[in-house]
Amino acid sequence: MQAADAVTAEVVRNALSMAAQEGGIVVVKASHSTFIQEGADSSAAVLDARSRLVAQSTATTLMHAASLRESLRALLVEIPLDTMRLGDVFAQNDPFKGGIHANDVAVLRPVFAGDGSGPHYFAGTIIHVADLGGGYAGGVAATAQDMFAEGMNLPPVHLYRAGEPEAVVWKIIENNSRTPEKVIGDIRALVSGANVIARRVGELVERYGIVGLAAHVEGYLTYTESRMREELRRFPAGIYHGDFTIDSDGIEADKTHEVRVTVTLPGDGSIHLDFTGTDAQAKGAINASYSQALSGVLFAVRCFLDPSIPMNEGCYTPLEVTFPRGSLVNPHPPAACGGRIVVVTAAMEAIVEALSAARPDMALASSGIVHLYAMSGVRTGASSPWLVMAMDFGGLGARATCDGPDATGAFVLGGRTAVLQVEPYEAQYPVMIEHTRPRVDSGGPGEQRGGLGIDTAIRLLDAAELVVRGDRMVLPPPGRAGGASGGAGFWRIERAAGHVDELAHRQSHVRLGAGDVFHIGTSGGGGLGDPFARDPEAVARDVRERRVSRAAARDSYGVVLDDAGVVDSPATVQLRGTR
Amino acid sequence: MKVTIGVDVGGTFTDVVLVDSAGVIHASKVVTTPADPREGVRRGVEVALAAAGLAGGVVERFVHGTTLATNVLLERAGARTAFVTTQGFGDLLRLGRAMRVGEARYDLLFAPSVPPVDDAMTFEVRERCTATGAVHVALEPDHIDEVVAGIVACKPEAVAICFLHAYANPAHELAFADSCRVAMPGVFVVSSAETWPEMREYERATTALACAYVGPVMASYLEGLQVMLRDIGVVCPVQIMDSSGGVLSAALAARKPVATIESGGAAGVMAAGFVGRLLGERDVLSFDMGGTTAKTAVVRGGEPTLTFDFRVGGHASMGDRRDDGLVVKTPVVDLAEIGAGGGSLAWVDRGGALQVGPRSAGAVPGPACYGRGGTRPTVTDANLVLGYLRAGELSDGVVLSTELATAAIDEHVAGPLGLATVDAARAIHDIVNNNMVAAIRMVTIQRGIDPRDFVLVGFGGAGPIHLVRLAEAFGIARVVVPWAAGVASALGLVAADPSVIEIHAHLVAADSADPERITAIFDDLAARAVVSLDAGAAHITMQRVIEARYPGQVHQLAVEVPAGVLTRADLDAAVAGFHARYLETYGIDMRAPVQFVTYRLRAVVPVDKPEPLRDRPAPYVASRSATRDVFFVENGQHRPVSQYRWENLRPGASISHPAIIEGAATSIVVPPGWAVMLDTMRNVIFSPLAASAPDR
Repeated sequence: MQAADAVTAEVVRNALSMAAQEGGIVVVKASHSTFIQEGADSSAAVLDARSRLVAQSTATTLMHAASLRESLRALLVEIPLDTMRLGDVFAQNDPFKGGIHANDVAVLRPVFAGDGSGPHYFAGTIIHVADLGGGYAGGVAATAQDMFAEGMNLPPVHLYRAGEPEAVVWKIIENNSRTPEKVIGDIRALVSGANVIARRVGELVERYGIVGLAAHVEGYLTYTESRMREELRRFPAGIYHGDFTIDSDGIEADKTHEVRVTVTLPGDGSIHLDFTGTDAQAKGAINASYSQALSGVLFAVRCFLDPSIPMNEGCYTPLEVTFPRGSLVNPHPPAACGGRIVVVTAAMEAIVEALSAARPDMALASSGIVHLYAMSGVRTGASSPWLVMAMDFGGLGARATCDGPDATGAFVLGGRTAVLQVEPYEAQYPVMIEHTRPRVDSGGPGEQRGGLGIDTAIRLLDAAELVVRGDRMVLPPPGRAGGASGGAGFWRIERAAGHVDELAHRQSHVRLGAGDVFHIGTSGGGGLGDPFARDPEAVARDVRERRVSRAAARDSYGVVLDDAGVVDSPATVQLRGTR
Repeated sequence: MKVTIGVDVGGTFTDVVLVDSAGVIHASKVVTTPADPREGVRRGVEVALAAAGLAGGVVERFVHGTTLATNVLLERAGARTAFVTTQGFGDLLRLGRAMRVGEARYDLLFAPSVPPVDDAMTFEVRERCTATGAVHVALEPDHIDEVVAGIVACKPEAVAICFLHAYANPAHELAFADSCRVAMPGVFVVSSAETWPEMREYERATTALACAYVGPVMASYLEGLQVMLRDIGVVCPVQIMDSSGGVLSAALAARKPVATIESGGAAGVMAAGFVGRLLGERDVLSFDMGGTTAKTAVVRGGEPTLTFDFRVGGHASMGDRRDDGLVVKTPVVDLAEIGAGGGSLAWVDRGGALQVGPRSAGAVPGPACYGRGGTRPTVTDANLVLGYLRAGELSDGVVLSTELATAAIDEHVAGPLGLATVDAARAIHDIVNNNMVAAIRMVTIQRGIDPRDFVLVGFGGAGPIHLVRLAEAFGIARVVVPWAAGVASALGLVAADPSVIEIHAHLVAADSADPERITAIFDDLAARAVVSLDAGAAHITMQRVIEARYPGQVHQLAVEVPAGVLTRADLDAAVAGFHARYLETYGIDMRAPVQFVTYRLRAVVPVDKPEPLRDRPAPYVASRSATRDVFFVENGQHRPVSQYRWENLRPGASISHPAIIEGAATSIVVPPGWAVMLDTMRNVIFSPLAASAPDR
C-alpha cells in the first residue's frame, strides 16, 4: 500500500535524524568545555559503510558538517571494514584525513546487525575538545605555522577494541593535555554520543532488516538529491564569479590572500564550484582542509536553495567541487589549519557574491566574523590551571532587503547569536566583566546598514596568559554596491598601570596581570547600496537606538537631525544634494 | 466533594466541566470568544450550571486554564515596561542569545527577535555584586533616586529589574524594587531574584521581563473575570492552572504570570494523569488534540515530567538547543506541542507537496464545513468527508456541512494535486497523523522512553478520531478514550491540586556542603511556599530536590532528599543517587566529585478529586443506533459502518469493529482490527484484535 509505505519511509527518516539528534545532545550535555556547552563546534551523524552521510543532528555546527563524512573515508582506508568488530570505537583528528585541526576530535563507531554481519552503518560525533597539547593552551593556535604547533595528531586509532578500552591510546591523549581531566571527559562524551547513535541505528536495523533499512536509506538519499537538483535547475543558469580578499594570515603581515571561485550552473540540476585561481596555502593558520572547504561550500550554496531540504549525502551528489591542491582551500601537510574559518568564510563570501549576481534579492554584504580568544592561568594558591576559550561575533553584512543583525554567528557557524553570559563566566574564572554593548557606528553605512560589532571589557582578577585570533580587522568587512565597510574590530589591553596596548589581530603569549582590562571589539558588517539613499527615518531610528551617532548620521548618511532627534528634511535634502 | 468548576479556554472551543457534590460530571463546550475570552467562559459556565440544575452560589472551587500569558507575549499586547539592569549591560536583551537550528540556519535574511521593551525604557544602575554574593560596588541611595526619577518620567505600567548575581545576593534588587514601588504606587515591579533566583542573567532577565510585561494584563483580566463570575452568582475565589500541573490563587497568578505560560497544556496532561489513576495506571501517554494544536506528554509514576526552560514564539526546539523566542524560566510540563488540530489548514506548497498546519482556521472563521466564512480545507473537513465526523450539529450551534468540506478540499487540494476528493481527504488525515507521531516521538523515543510501555490516553475535540492510528504507528496496545473526552482538559483542572515550586541557588562542593545550611535553605523555601499557597502548613505535602552536576559541566540532574533535618548521610545518599542517574542518562560512570547547584521545593495542598460514578459492568454486545458510510484504508472505500451513541452505552458494552461512537463534542473512531469495551466509568478501552500489534 503506497500511503502506508510513504508513512513508514517518513518514520524511518525521522528515526535516523532523531538518532543523530539524540547523540548530539548527549555529547553536548556530557562535555566539559564551556565552548561546547554554549553551542559551538559539534556535530553528530549517521553514515553508511560507503561513507555516505545518512542523517545529521540539526544542531550541527555547519563548519563541522562535512568532517565526519570525510573522516570516515580516511578511517576506512587505514582500518579496513572487514577488520572491524562489534564494540570497536575509533578516534581521529588528522586535518589531512578528513579532520579540521587538532582539537576537533572525531569518534566513529561501526554498527553491526543482530546476526553479526556488518558494519552496515557508522555512528559519528565530533567536538572541539579541551586542550590537546601543541604550542598554545586550549587550541587557539593563532600564530601556528604548521600542524605540529596546533596540538597532537591522531591518525585513525582504536579507542575501544571489541568493547575493551585501548588503554595506551587513552593514556597518550591524557599525557598530551594541559587539562587531562577535561579532555578525557570530552572524549568520553564523544563516545557516549556515538554509543547512543549506534544503539538507535542498531534498533532500526533489527526492526526493518538490513535490506529493508538500506532501501529506506537509499530512498531518503535519492529524495534529497532530487530536491537539490530540482532547486538547482530552477536557479538562473550561467557562469558566475566571486572573490574575497583575506587581510592577513597573522604571520606575513603585509601579504593579502585571495580566494576565487567560478560557479557554473549548467541548468541540468548540477552545480560546479571551481576554486582555481585561489592563492597558495598560507604560512599562518588560516588554511582550510578539504572537509572544511567543502562544509563552507555546501552551506553557502544551501543558503540560496529551499531550506527544508534534508541534510544528507543527497546534498553532496549534485555538487562538483575543484579545490586546487596546495591552495588555501586544500593545503598540503603540514599546513596549519586551526583558523580555517578565515578561508572558509572567504570562500562563502565569494560564492555569495557569485550567486547574488543571479539572485540580487539575496545579496549580502560581507560580515564581521569571529573573534576568538583563550585565557589561561593558575590561580594564586591553586595547583591546577584554569583555561577558558571563548568568542564574540561580528555584525552580519547588510542584506538586499534589510539591515544586518548585530553581533551574530549566523554567517560563521550558521548558528547562534550569543552574547557572553557574565554570571557563569565570573563564577568559574578570575575575571569581572565590565560591559558588553554594541559598538556605535561599527555597522557599515549603506542603503541597508551592516550589523554592529560588539565591545566587551573583561577585568582580570589574577595573572593570565592570553592568545587572540581576530579576523577582518586589518581590512574590515567590505560593503557592496556603494555600501561602505564595517568598522574594524580590535583587541586592546588597558593596563592597570595606566597605558594601553593594542594587540595585533593574531597574537599569542600575551601576559595579563591582575587589574588589567582586556577589551574585545568585533568588526561590523559591510553596508549595501548608497548610504545617502537610506531612508532618513531609518537613520533617525538608528540614532535613537544608539546604533549610529549623530555625527555619523550627518557625515555618512547625509541626514540632519534636530535636537529632539527628528529628521530635519530640508536640511537633509540640502546636505544630500551637496555631494 | 466540593462543587467544582473547571474552565479551559482553547483556541477554538471553551470547555467547562462541573463536578457536583455527588461526583457527577456535567460538561459544556462553547465557541471561544477571542476578543474577550471571558464572554465564552460566562456562557459555558451558565450552560454547565443549567445542565447540573445548580445555582452559581453553590460552587465552592473555580479553576481556570488560560493561554492569556502566551497570547500577550506573542501578540506583543503587554504592559508598557521599563527594564533595569547593572551598569554596562543595558544591551543584554537586545543582543540576545538566540540559537538558530535546523533549516533556519540557511536563512541569511532572518529577522532577529526583538525583546518586548523599548530601548529608551532601559536603565542602567551603578551597583555590582560578585558570584559569591559579595558587594563590589555599593548601591547608593542617591543614585537609586536619580534612576527611579528617570523611570517615573517614562510613565511605565511595569518595571522588570535584573542585576548581575542577584541570585547570590538579592539585596540590591530588592532595595531598588522597594524604591520603585514607593515612587510608583500601582506600577507592577518585578525583581529577577524574586521570580527565578538562578545563575545566568540573560534567562533571569527575560523571565522577569515576561512577568512584568504580562502581569498588569493578567491582573486586570482576572479581576474582570471575578466580577463577571459574581454577576452570575459564582462567588468562590478563582484559581488558575499553572504550567507545572498545579493550581495557583488568582492573586499569585497575577504576581507571577509566567507560571501560567503553558496552563492549557498542563491541564490536559493532568487530565490524562487523573484518568490513569482512576484506571490504576501510573504510566500514561497523554494525547490532547483540539482545534488548533495537538499536545502530547509523558506521565510516569503518576507524575508529569517537568522542564524549566520554555520559549515563547520560537520556531524550533531541538533537545536543549533552541532557536529564538523569549526564554522563560519556570516549571513547565514537558510536552511536545505542534500545530496540528481540527482547524489546521491543508495546503499545497510550491513544490507540489501537501502540507497540513501549523496555521489554523481557529475559532474564526473555523473550518470550511462550519459554514462560518472559512473556505480553506482543514483536518476537520477531511475527517467529515471520510465519515469520521457526522454531518449536522457538532456543538454549541456549530453545524457541519459535508458539501462545504468537499468544495474546499476539491478547490485547494484535490484539484491542484489531481486526486479524487476522498484520496485528498485521506492524505490530509494521514499527514496530520504523521505530524502527531513525530510529536509523540519527541517526548518518548527521543528521550529513550518506549511508548509501548504506556497507556495512550486520548482526548480533546479531535483526539479520539486520530488516536488509534497513532497507537498503530508505535504498536501501543492499550488505548483509552476517557468519558467526557471532548472536555477532558477541563476535567484536569478540577483534578489538580494547588501547588507551588520554590527554588534557591547556592553552589557548593557536595562533600563539603553543610547539612545545617542546606536544611535552612529548604526551611526557608518551605516558609515561602506556605505564604504562596496561603494554606495551613499542616495541609501541605512537600518534595525536596537538589540539582547537582559534575564541576565543569553545566547540565544538571535532580536528586530527591528526604524531609526534615538533613544529615551528612542524607547528602551522601544524594551524591550516590546523582552518580546513578548520570550513569543511567549518559551511559558513563564518572565517579567524579559533585557540586550542588540549585535547591527546589514543591509544595502541594491535596484536594478531593472527582470520583466518577462506577457502575458494575454487565457484559453485553451493544446494538448500533444507525450506520453511516465511513472510509477506512483497510477497505479502500466508503462502506456502511455501525454508529453508536456513547451516552446510550452502559458499562460492560462491547462493540464490534469497525465502528464510530458518537459522544458530546467528539467522535471516537474504531478502525478495523480493534476491540472496544466500556469500563465501569464508561471509558472506552481499546485493544488490538491480532495477537501482535500492527507494524511491529
